[in-house]
Amino acid sequence: MKTLKLSLFGTAAAVVAIGLGANAYAFHSGGVAECDGCHSMHTPAAGGSFLLQGSDQSSTCLNCHEHAGDTGPSSYHISTAETQLGAGVSPLQRTPGGDFAWLKKTYSYLDRSGATVTEDGQVHGHNIVAADQGYAADSVNTTAPGGTFPASQLACNSCHDPHNPNRRGVDGNISRTGAPIVRSGSYNNSVAPVAGQAVGAFRLLAGAGYTKGSVTFLGNPAAVTPSSYNRTEATTQTRTAYGVSTSGGHETWGQWCSTCHPDMHSTGNYAHPIDQGMGSSLAANYQTYVASGNMTGSSATSFTSLVPFAQNTGDYATLALSAQNNNSVLTGPGSTDQVMCLSCHRAHASGFAEMLRWNNEYEFLTINGAYIGSDNSTSGNAHLGRTSAEWQSAYYDRPATTFATYQRVLCNKCHAKD
Amino acid sequence: MKANAIKHIRIIILSLSLLIVSAGMSMAGTFKASHLYNLSDFTGPLTYSWGALSVDATRNEVYFIYQNLVKVFNENGMEIFQFGDDLQLGQVLGAAVDKNGDIVLLAYLEGRSTIIKCNYRGEPLGEIKLQRLPKDFADFNASQMVSRDGLLYLASHSEKKLVVAEADGTFVRGYDVFDMLPHMDKERNDIDLSTISVDQHNNILFTIPVLFSAFILSPEGKLTSFGRPGGAPGRFNVVGGMVSDSQGNYLVADMLKSAVIVFDKDLNFVKEFGYRGAQPGNLIGPRDLVIDGRDRLYVTQGRARGVSVFQLAYD
Repeated sequence: MKTLKLSLFGTAAAVVAIGLGANAYAFHSGGVAECDGCHSMHTPAAGGSFLLQGSDQSSTCLNCHEHAGDTGPSSYHISTAETQLGAGVSPLQRTPGGDFAWLKKTYSYLDRSGATVTEDGQVHGHNIVAADQGYAADSVNTTAPGGTFPASQLACNSCHDPHNPNRRGVDGNISRTGAPIVRSGSYNNSVAPVAGQAVGAFRLLAGAGYTKGSVTFLGNPAAVTPSSYNRTEATTQTRTAYGVSTSGGHETWGQWCSTCHPDMHSTGNYAHPIDQGMGSSLAANYQTYVASGNMTGSSATSFTSLVPFAQNTGDYATLALSAQNNNSVLTGPGSTDQVMCLSCHRAHASGFAEMLRWNNEYEFLTINGAYIGSDNSTSGNAHLGRTSAEWQSAYYDRPATTFATYQRVLCNKCHAKD
Repeated sequence: MKANAIKHIRIIILSLSLLIVSAGMSMAGTFKASHLYNLSDFTGPLTYSWGALSVDATRNEVYFIYQNLVKVFNENGMEIFQFGDDLQLGQVLGAAVDKNGDIVLLAYLEGRSTIIKCNYRGEPLGEIKLQRLPKDFADFNASQMVSRDGLLYLASHSEKKLVVAEADGTFVRGYDVFDMLPHMDKERNDIDLSTISVDQHNNILFTIPVLFSAFILSPEGKLTSFGRPGGAPGRFNVVGGMVSDSQGNYLVADMLKSAVIVFDKDLNFVKEFGYRGAQPGNLIGPRDLVIDGRDRLYVTQGRARGVSVFQLAYD
């Protein structure tokens, strides 16, 4: 009781000391942030640019978006500091986009012929250049796969517009000018704009007219995410609700990604379709697929964030209803809902090659009810140098029991060939 | 007569004003921070980015934790011992030395923080369990630990809570920092706490970068804040840790400005030092600060710049 009283006294004293005010804590608040968070007007870096004080743009972003000392998913952090990345330790953040620190996780293992193979960390995601935090350009893909954007210029601001003027007005359209941006528009609890107000574009993503080097974005993709999005999915999933819209300043997710990767999915290329309705057959597979061999599921409980899809709507209120982190909305796709790049890939990085959402380098994700892993004797050489715990981290902490005892790759969520 | 009196009063006021101004300038002129060296092992200066720091003020030894390895440096900044890389204790987050010379580790294992007492070689002796935690702190999971004057100061950066405990883990007092701040519609995850330190008066010092503010939390629970956003000297860009030296000055790391900003005990700006660059006294992304009993300031940095050590002087 004594300690509680002291604590209460502390609270009261603090309020008196610092005063009552109406501070808005969020830094970006849906648009251009406080200038002093990124630029230092009177102490520019030696050799720096734009009065930024980081070595480069991404280093500046990671000043806040990486935090040494985290013990798990925390706040708006999208990178685990190197100081916490020892051997056998996985990155900590669990944002839908993924933790960039997977780029620093290099694994060695014996392949099926017994030869030593090294899986370089840089295959795990978008290799942003952030010298202060130890991120370097992709040394293999010197330009964006399927495009010409130089790897040496890849930075957070290649995809996110830090000064983002794109705003979603009361009519749902996105424009670069108009009513003032009053708050973020990314979250399921973001209040919809009223007349005379606008909210920010999803995740400050680049929109129409934003040019980096030789590429120019043509619109913003639609989506809404839960307000608490950086969290373990051990018990409940984090569902970002991706949408489909090509009007009012929007473009589809596939179109948006193809700004830098135009040849990955352009017409005539022999590639997996995107931005297409799933059709009744694949949608039915998705709805009934529970695990390898188990097709007893129903639409209402079929969603998995390991294979998200784009709902065929550009209505943000509808998307907000789906954007939950408590398993309250696990509805699967209808036939007009679409497959997109993010159905299989994470946007930042993942624990798997090609920033996939699951391991596609072996038939099974689990063997005998456990994750493949160097500590699972039945895995043979299939563990790819990871322990079972590291695999579990890459699946956002889902227990192996989420899957079949011999779970095959998640292409089968739509194609059901297992 | 009356005119003379007014003249005298004017002279006195002018003199006092000059005295006050010159005192301020004198303070600004007397504080010095000289780069001494970087923490090193026998291969040269450490080439790590950031990491967790603590000092044993009694022995002026420094503990630096990086990727689960606890490295101990002597008073000259040379590594003399290391332990803890086997993950058996979990992820080691912090180290402190108690009054008996035993090492106390803060580790994170299976989703919970644990405090482990070790001998001077880092061999575990037993767990120190937090006891008598009030209901509001029942799920408290520490991510940083500071030992001072026989007390353990624990911070949970994700929960934005602080707990002060006896050396045996008995709860003394706790603070929910988020609830102590005036706010409107934002969530706990919208702010970050810097690392904490504890000054000679047992105030807890920390910053909240997104608020461009530094905070001094007294043992009585009085929270004082200072700081204004800006790039000009004395203003805050993206602030990191804060410490207090033997003179009561407050030193605040600014990651974006790549400088350490110094304020006197009355929170008047004194000077800045460091700044981005390749010279030994420059800093790149300074984040955490600790200070030993000889006013030696240890600064963690990015870009594999290791830990820079500065001698503070006041002559």
